[in-house]
Amino acid sequence: MNTDPSVIAKKISYKINDNKLFHDLSFCLNKGKALHICGDNGSGKSTLIRIILGITKQTKGELEISSTKGISYLGHKNAIKNYLSVEDNILLMQLHNHKDLNRYIEILNLKKYLDVLVANLSFGQQKKLALLRIFLNNSDIIILDEPFVGLDNETQKTLSNFLNEQLENNKILIFTSHISCEINSEALNIS
Amino acid sequence: MNLIKLEFLKLKNKTRTWLGPILVFWLIMIAYPLTVEFLKDKLEIGFYSVLWIAILISMMLATEDIFLEDFNDGALEQIMLQTSSYSLLVSLKVFTYWIFIGFPVSVLSFLMSFGTSENLTASLMVFPLSIISSYIFLNLFVMGNALSLNKGSVLGAIVSMPLALPVLIVLGKSMTAIQLGINYPGFIFLLLGCLSIIIVTVPIVVSFIVKAHLE
Repeated sequence: MNTDPSVIAKKISYKINDNKLFHDLSFCLNKGKALHICGDNGSGKSTLIRIILGITKQTKGELEISSTKGISYLGHKNAIKNYLSVEDNILLMQLHNHKDLNRYIEILNLKKYLDVLVANLSFGQQKKLALLRIFLNNSDIIILDEPFVGLDNETQKTLSNFLNEQLENNKILIFTSHISCEINSEALNIS
Repeated sequence: MNLIKLEFLKLKNKTRTWLGPILVFWLIMIAYPLTVEFLKDKLEIGFYSVLWIAILISMMLATEDIFLEDFNDGALEQIMLQTSSYSLLVSLKVFTYWIFIGFPVSVLSFLMSFGTSENLTASLMVFPLSIISSYIFLNLFVMGNALSLNKGSVLGAIVSMPLALPVLIVLGKSMTAIQLGINYPGFIFLLLGCLSIIIVTVPIVVSFIVKAHLE
């Protein structure tokens, strides 16, 4: 049985109230490949990501996703609770027993904020906390919507390096970004 | 079990969410005697009607933001990607809310019933009625709130309220049965029957509604 991840889109279209967002998009991603979805604001990048995630249904076309270890996703919303501490959020993400947790907490400079309420952290620090979900989930498909927004240069570099490492480990990466990054990827322009 | 623990963690830190409805229930029950003359028999006349309505209102308030927060912060999307059974998650969420709000309200119902009637037997009979009815109301309002997820909880309450009316009628009849000493178990079984249907169907319906909202 083939256990390699793959994402295959065949002539995917999406429209809202007769307004076509994109039309007949096709791409094929196999292990170790990355897709950078580019486009202007409102061109449908996030919608395409939601279609790939299975949250939104395309109006036309087929999408085939093969994955054994699931999908890690980080979108515009961080899915963290601002009334809980950083530590409790890690518990909520069910990452508290992960063997690499402490290493990434050090790398992301979150150690001194473990007891701090998320509401008291800056946007960038909250994003770093949300990124733990990406760093520590061993999924074979990673999907990110504007992952570099709000991050300092050092964290952007850490994230780029991590994503390149994941590609070397035969994972699939799909992302949107207006910030230039050093990730070896194919571009898909949907403007 | 893990999901219940995580829901507990969230709810434990959202004091306003669980304490608010309990306090509203308590305030209604405390305010009730002030509106009638302080004669024991007069207090009892309308007490149980006020009790059921207070439970109804507190359960309505309890579900106000049951999905809204997870919807707004993107947690529902993450849950959708991780969990195969969304309806199980809804069931566990409702159960957690009931433990935090429904159960304390039921205990308060028993205590207030005993305090008003000084009749332990009748109050012990009211306790299961409160437990079952609070769980039914909670499920119904969860459905209403899911329907009006991004349109405000008032609309959700309007949608769910007609479904709660038959339960209120059964609760009224149950009290007559307790006072006359006839067929009390029959009413309990009737409510349990309603609950067993609701407990299965509501999470399935709600999971479809929430997925539709995410889409």
